[in-house]
Amino acid sequence: MLGSMRYAVKTLLPNVLDDLLTRARPTQGAPPNILRVLHAVHDLCGYIDQQFIPAIAHSQGVTEADVAGVLSYYPSLNIQPVGRHRLQICLGESCLANRCDQVVEAIQSKLGIDLGQTTPDGRFTLEPVSCVGNCAVSPSVRIDGELQGRVRPSDVASLLDRYR
Amino acid sequence: MSRIRLYLSNDTSSCAAGAERLAEAWRQRSDVELVRTSSRGAFYLEPMVERESPEVRLAWCQVTADDLPKILAGNGGIPVSTIPFLSRQTRHTFVSFGVTEPLSLEAYLAQGGFAGLRAARQVSPSAIIQEIKTSRLRGRGGAAFPVWKKWEVAATTTADRKYVVANADEGDAGTYCDRMIMEGDPFRLIEGMLICARAIGASAGYIYCRQEYPAARASLHAAILAADTAGWLESDGRPFTIEVVSGAGSYVCGEETALLESLEGRRGVVRARPPHPAQSGLYGQPTIVSNVLTFATIPNILARGGAWHASLGTEGSRGTIALQLGGRVKQPGLIEIPFGLTLRAVLDQFGQGMADGARLKAVQVGGPLGSLFTDAQLDIPICFDAFAKADAILGHGGIVVFDDETDILELSRHLMAFVADESCGKCVPCRIGSLRAREILEAIQQGQATAADLSLLTELGDTMKATSLCGLGARAPYPVLSALEQFPVEFRSRLRS
Ligand SMILES: Cc1cc2nc3c(=O)[nH]c(=O)nc-3n(C[C@H](O)[C@H](O)[C@H](O)COP(=O)(O)O)c2cc1C
Ligand code: FES
Repeated sequence: MLGSMRYAVKTLLPNVLDDLLTRARPTQGAPPNILRVLHAVHDLCGYIDQQFIPAIAHSQGVTEADVAGVLSYYPSLNIQPVGRHRLQICLGESCLANRCDQVVEAIQSKLGIDLGQTTPDGRFTLEPVSCVGNCAVSPSVRIDGELQGRVRPSDVASLLDRYR
Repeated sequence: MSRIRLYLSNDTSSCAAGAERLAEAWRQRSDVELVRTSSRGAFYLEPMVERESPEVRLAWCQVTADDLPKILAGNGGIPVSTIPFLSRQTRHTFVSFGVTEPLSLEAYLAQGGFAGLRAARQVSPSAIIQEIKTSRLRGRGGAAFPVWKKWEVAATTTADRKYVVANADEGDAGTYCDRMIMEGDPFRLIEGMLICARAIGASAGYIYCRQEYPAARASLHAAILAADTAGWLESDGRPFTIEVVSGAGSYVCGEETALLESLEGRRGVVRARPPHPAQSGLYGQPTIVSNVLTFATIPNILARGGAWHASLGTEGSRGTIALQLGGRVKQPGLIEIPFGLTLRAVLDQFGQGMADGARLKAVQVGGPLGSLFTDAQLDIPICFDAFAKADAILGHGGIVVFDDETDILELSRHLMAFVADESCGKCVPCRIGSLRAREILEAIQQGQATAADLSLLTELGDTMKATSLCGLGARAPYPVLSALEQFPVEFRSRLRS
């Protein structure tokens, strides 16, 4: 799955990406904005391939080192393709107080991966997050866009089964 | 058949608690008209369903889809006004929550919306600032700086362009009131920003919203469009644009100068001050960076007068505070009350004590950089001065309650590891200090540390407090050192003898 995603990015995107980067070019007199472009590329591809860095740098009139520096700074910008589903588990203090560690364990034992890893079949990428603002209904798990509250370890199996 | 109108919150946390499942289950029914509102913030009761009765709104709590016949028959609902968690509050900023549809401009206007901006447009910019001065409003993002002082600096600095920036990074775990405002009452934030724009003469605004809040960004986009279409987005006859910008998962980007770096598209690294953003902020122009809740508090002050606001709260902390209760309490949720109630009273009256079977061990107030309190310390009044005197912070009003199963040493390590991860790297005390402190805590966990390491931890903490460039490094030692002070045995019993 990961292999085919990478393939898709290589073959499909250049035109779309070119368009995006052309549109992202700062207008006359306006300052460049590296993070804004990175967000746009990330929204398009789900991650930012290192090979896009020169084109991004060119579009903003900055150096490749500038782009790489911004890219490496921000935790939510992926530099690798992620799985079909982004599985985020909150490790913020309200979730901790409500035993999210047990939810993490249940997820890890069900999927056999650690925080930050993707399942070998490319189904889930497990990401830690620090508070999604759902503290009053914690512990919190977000799968793709969908947020679940008051998650118990025993809910994990049926919750994950809904995402193929 | 006539449809019965039911009110169901659309807030992210209500949906996560089950409101979305109810909406899906009932969407097709011909006998139900579902109105999606903001949440009242009594999250322990969510999903909550309300309907009108002749005199009052009735509520059904922790509803499942099977409860619908009961609700339609009108059986078992309780008047919202009799829910003590809500009736004991003093709602001013959060007055419309649970009542209105967030994106209805008509509903906002009907509730008195834009009265503050109208009042501000009747008077001079300096009179607006005078009103804020009279209100004695202090910023709600953490530093509690008097709002009028920043506005006056920005107003009196001459520049080509000036900016208004809403800090919607809401990075402190355990806080969610900014999220509720952006999702549930976005026009109030916009109105506050417009008042600020008029006071300082700004022509553009930005809302820097954390990446983890997709629903808030969607709500803001829609509200900005609606306000623009209705002609509200102008200041002094010039267009006032508001753009929503997404963060990218960095905690330190909530610090105002790092936020500005990030808005300009760079690494979110803290800038040395002075100059302060009010003099030289975004692109070197005068910029007001204020918290979402701060902006949302402004409309009432202009509409009702600064003296009204100053009449609430305590000597140094005027107005109301939005507390956000989380962790192992029975009744987590949003609480707006005047400053001054004790922490114990808040936990008892609103939290109703601990969740079933749990016993209190520690309370952290003010996010991951906030100090820990034990049961014996809960009689502290909730106001800026009392907290400052206790070497603690109110921060953004987050209160997280931990039970007696909590491993305090592991919690300390977790909090220090967070700072080590999030440090922007600009200053040495924070970058290196947090790493070393984390290593010491890990060594204690592994039974490899000695009493000398504990002294080193304290010394390291003192250096970080005194010499860090921003609040991240300067506040980082407090949770750990307060833990060490309150729970010395948990640290000492794990030392190598
Ligand atoms: C590490 C760090 C993180 C911060 N995070 C936030 C935040 O998420 N939201 C916020 O409003 N202020 C945050 N602040 C405070 C801001 O620097 C600034 O004081 C605030 O935005 C000013 O707004 P106010 O006057 O309305 O409080 C943070 C400060 C530090 C040192
Ligand atoms: S701490 Fe997990 S949602 Fe806030």
